[in-house]
Amino acid sequence: MTGKPYRLPQDSGTGHTSVGRLIDHGKPLSFTYDGKQMSGFAGDTLASAVMANGRRVLGRSFKYHRPRGLITMGSEEPNALVGVGEGSRLEPNLRATQVELYDGLCAVSQNRWPSLDFDVGIINNHMSRLFPSGFYYKTFMWPKVFWHKVYEPIIRNAAGLGVAPKGIDPDSYEQMHVHCDVLVVGGGVAGLAAARAAMATGKRVMICDETPRLGGTADISSELIDGKSQLDWVREQASALAAADNVQVMTRSTVVGHYHHNYLMVFERLTDHDPELAANGAPRHRLWKVRAGKVIVASGASERTMTFANNDRPGVMLSSAARTLVERYGVAPGLMGLIFTNNDDAYHTALNLKSAGVGVGRIVDVRENPQSDVISAAQSAGIEVMFGHAIAGVETSSGGKQIDAVKVAPYVTGRGRVVDERTIPADFVAVSGGWNPVAHLWCHNGGKLRWDDDLSCFRPLSHNDEIAIVGAANGTMDLAGCLTEGYAAGEKAAGKATGKAAVKKSKATAVKQAPTQPMWFAPATGSYNEGNKHFIDQQNDVTAADLELAQREGYVSVEHTKRYTTLGMATDQGKNSNLPGLGVIAEATGRSIPEVGTTTFRPPYTPISFGAIAGTQRGELFHVVRRTAVYDWHIARTKVMEPVGDWRRPYCYPKAGESQQDAINREILNVRNNVGVLDASTLGKIEIKGPDAGAFLDLIYTNIFSSLKTGKCRYGLMMNEMGFLMDDGVTAKLADDHYLMHTTSGGAERIAAWLEEWLQTEWFDLKVYVTPVTEQWSQFAIAGPNARKVLEKLGGDIDLSGDALAFMEMANGTMGGFPVRLFRISFSGELSFEIATPANFGQDLWDKIFEAGDEFGIAPYGTEALHVLRAEKGFIVVGDETDGTVTPHDVGMSWAVSKKKPDYIGKRSLEQAFLTEPGRKQLVGLSTTDPNEVLPDGAQAVETVHAGKQSMIGHVTSSYWSPTLKRSIAMALIKDGSNRMGEKISFPLADKVIEAEIVNPVFYDKEGARQNV
Amino acid sequence: MSDPVFHSGLASSKAIEGSISVSSIDDQGMIDLRGDSGDKKFIAACKKVLGISLPTTPRESTATKNITALWLSPDQWLITCPRVSSVEITQELQSALSGIHALVVDVSDARSILRLEGDGAREILMKGAPVDLTTDDYGKGYVRRLRFAEMAALVHVISDTPEIIDLFVFRSYGQYAWDWLAATSSKQSKLQIFIDQPVAAI
Repeated sequence: MTGKPYRLPQDSGTGHTSVGRLIDHGKPLSFTYDGKQMSGFAGDTLASAVMANGRRVLGRSFKYHRPRGLITMGSEEPNALVGVGEGSRLEPNLRATQVELYDGLCAVSQNRWPSLDFDVGIINNHMSRLFPSGFYYKTFMWPKVFWHKVYEPIIRNAAGLGVAPKGIDPDSYEQMHVHCDVLVVGGGVAGLAAARAAMATGKRVMICDETPRLGGTADISSELIDGKSQLDWVREQASALAAADNVQVMTRSTVVGHYHHNYLMVFERLTDHDPELAANGAPRHRLWKVRAGKVIVASGASERTMTFANNDRPGVMLSSAARTLVERYGVAPGLMGLIFTNNDDAYHTALNLKSAGVGVGRIVDVRENPQSDVISAAQSAGIEVMFGHAIAGVETSSGGKQIDAVKVAPYVTGRGRVVDERTIPADFVAVSGGWNPVAHLWCHNGGKLRWDDDLSCFRPLSHNDEIAIVGAANGTMDLAGCLTEGYAAGEKAAGKATGKAAVKKSKATAVKQAPTQPMWFAPATGSYNEGNKHFIDQQNDVTAADLELAQREGYVSVEHTKRYTTLGMATDQGKNSNLPGLGVIAEATGRSIPEVGTTTFRPPYTPISFGAIAGTQRGELFHVVRRTAVYDWHIARTKVMEPVGDWRRPYCYPKAGESQQDAINREILNVRNNVGVLDASTLGKIEIKGPDAGAFLDLIYTNIFSSLKTGKCRYGLMMNEMGFLMDDGVTAKLADDHYLMHTTSGGAERIAAWLEEWLQTEWFDLKVYVTPVTEQWSQFAIAGPNARKVLEKLGGDIDLSGDALAFMEMANGTMGGFPVRLFRISFSGELSFEIATPANFGQDLWDKIFEAGDEFGIAPYGTEALHVLRAEKGFIVVGDETDGTVTPHDVGMSWAVSKKKPDYIGKRSLEQAFLTEPGRKQLVGLSTTDPNEVLPDGAQAVETVHAGKQSMIGHVTSSYWSPTLKRSIAMALIKDGSNRMGEKISFPLADKVIEAEIVNPVFYDKEGARQNV
Repeated sequence: MSDPVFHSGLASSKAIEGSISVSSIDDQGMIDLRGDSGDKKFIAACKKVLGISLPTTPRESTATKNITALWLSPDQWLITCPRVSSVEITQELQSALSGIHALVVDVSDARSILRLEGDGAREILMKGAPVDLTTDDYGKGYVRRLRFAEMAALVHVISDTPEIIDLFVFRSYGQYAWDWLAATSSKQSKLQIFIDQPVAAI
């Protein structure tokens, strides 16, 4: 076969002048398919261009590796799957019928080895009696250990479709959120009518179509609207919609999912048709998240195949696909075709093909004696029609790649064996088994369907959402009805426009059609699987015989049959195969199709890219990163940043050649011996003010705050209603009715919301306002014996003496020229100040502190040193020593739980028997027998080590090497721990057992002398 | 002692000149104001200091030449003013409101303000924000607290034509917001919805 005969002239000389209407013969394009150079034209799809090059085999099937050609004209294509692009831009499993051709396109076929023409896997086809449905379940059950190591890898290698791309995707993707009043799904005649009616009201209207064009199947239909061609009518609507400032028209945009409350997902492809756009930086895909007031589904209908022997051979395609190839792309599906139908629509294909110069040998019609204008027209045009006949099989050569002839036999519903068979030469078959409403979107969120006997299909029945369905998608298969329904739905959704604004409603004349006669299975000569496969699901290689076998084996539920046979479980989700499959199941079990029922329709309608799902959130933007005012200073000095909530905090600052552990040790000792500085800006800060602020804090904390004097600070514990610790921190009193609360870094937003919630929902009688000010302040801890000297050097109007600013006091003033709040508080046990200044002065204050501290041995310390310093002092960290099941009593802080206050959050829960019983896990210190042994965080403790199951009595909550004490230290929650001081317990690890003594958790400076100087 | 050096949260960011331009507004002060909008004394005291009535309708703002009051919630406003006067105005408000239940805090450093200028600025926000920014009340003066690119943010529409929008995010999020805007505002990703479009292909 050479390529040329398949590209038809634009004017066939019969008056049919629209052949290949999308093809621009002035713009030739070249592309490669499986490495072979081919040519096409602007306007082609990859499928049409490959067909024009005389090539029909576009893929190999999933299981049997049979050669396959295209079947459909669009997104429902099961067979013509290709990989497009190279390297990191390769995208597998694209439907060649949707891929728009561009110059330089590089496509590869899939699931073949070594080549599409010669595929070793075809051996599976000849061994197919060994691969019935449920084959995997039946064969690979024994021996069990073989599954992971032997069977599964082999199966995974042999099965499957495209391969994943290698490397990082170089393109960009983004998302878009939009609200609209009316979303119209589908830009065919019904959808356009709906959009026009809705547009007239001025409401916000979106109309989306998955193809690059509006019009649906208007261009392959011959009926007129208002006496004009449908295409002319579509052109008028498109212009009106484009000019309106309340309408968003989106092509190449598939509405892939409908979710609760009319939330929809639209997958827009911006550059796949022209990769230069992506190379220049345009986003490749955009995922629209749409909230629509009303949805109008006008997604049209898709044509059904019919099931006959070897119906999967390349050259067997849908009647609509054949018509589309000719009309849109000027490509002949073959030289001599045979049309096989059970309805009138295929007659249009026959007429269309014939007038375009494509050979049409015969129309084979299942129906006995149908009457309509289009049938008469076909007969008048000299096309021979065989009524009451069906295809019994196709004969092929070249390993199934070439159709030579079609076997036709008389057909009577219900009769099995073929007796009187004729062979008719043909090289392609155009099939029409009727039309199915595309009701997927309708069903995604619970739309109901009903069976329609006349159309032999399921059609929409009811829905609980604000959603309507119109036109062919609603089972309205005539043009006049599509228009009427479209306009009505648009008006109903948006409200009726009045006066000049109202849309002029176009009309079409109803055309009488002969009824469709369902046919789910055409019998063949011989028996199943003797080279006579009747394919139902071509993408997953499921045959009628597989479905019948599943019924015999008892898979009564259609959902079970689906999973057992994999019917409809491939990337096309059974768009073509669902109904034919149900038909076969129904006939095999003597039930009706509605009795069999349908499987579930799930989003997405067609596959969408991972890039679109990720959108902008990749690489540096993968997740929010919060930066303090000193962030740049930190990252210039350390690469070791620790995530704390969304913040990134320096973990430690290793010098050149220094290990992280050495850096941590150095930072700790510098705090103990000289002075260290920590960026503590991430701590939560909340201003609380009002006449009832003190009373409010008494309710929030376990201890008393109303008695606090202005200028003083107090450490507080916060419980939730269950009596469990949820946060802690120091709160300072700024004025009589005014407090500043500090929370943990991770708790800042949560606690602010917690306070606001109690004020708004429970204690709305309290006069208190709460304003989070975390981000207003940079706050630095200056800790160590030299801390006061550094501040004195910095200078200012605050008296820093121990008498004027005692431990747990605060002052406002100016230090080093900066407006500051100065707190004398300590989380390290050393003499320590926290100095806060407005964040935009933070970097400068930080620098000035280092200048001032230079002579006193100042050095920064990171979060790990902070943790070790506090652990040496036995200070807890909420989230380390607590896990949401730990009370203040458990961590030995009963002193912070007020016995005087009448009420506070968690008080009653804390009195429950379970929380007061002795023997609960309690916080203790651990001293390992070998001082050099550092317990792993989370290590489980046991009473005694023995073989078999051992009883756990607790776990390590914090564990460090203490450079101050030159030994390991740890804290743990241990059953009845506070009564077990001095006892030894064991921690069995994977490779050894570590023994430790239970000790007081305060390891260093038990009297607290160091912070009180 | 030299004056403290001011470092904007976005001082080191590279200018964005794509489908829109983005710049950091550093000379604006911000004051968080809480009080009871039903309390006439509170409203009157604020008006005396600020020269404007606080907006009490959701999503609205009121403004003089230098001062703008943005509605945040039924009992919370964000006052913007020249940065140099934020301390003074805070103190004036505090003294005018003494004896009235209210909370005034200077939060001039708590947020970064990113100014988006150019056609399609609103659509760039829509790429990261799930709220409806196409309602009828959207226009000059519109204020909306929203979730933008996983951050708590506030939008204030400065002008309709030309399109100018101020995006407020907490200071620690400024750089992420900036980088997000840079990534979504390339000339090639320009998007404007509900306007005249080229006629779709047929």
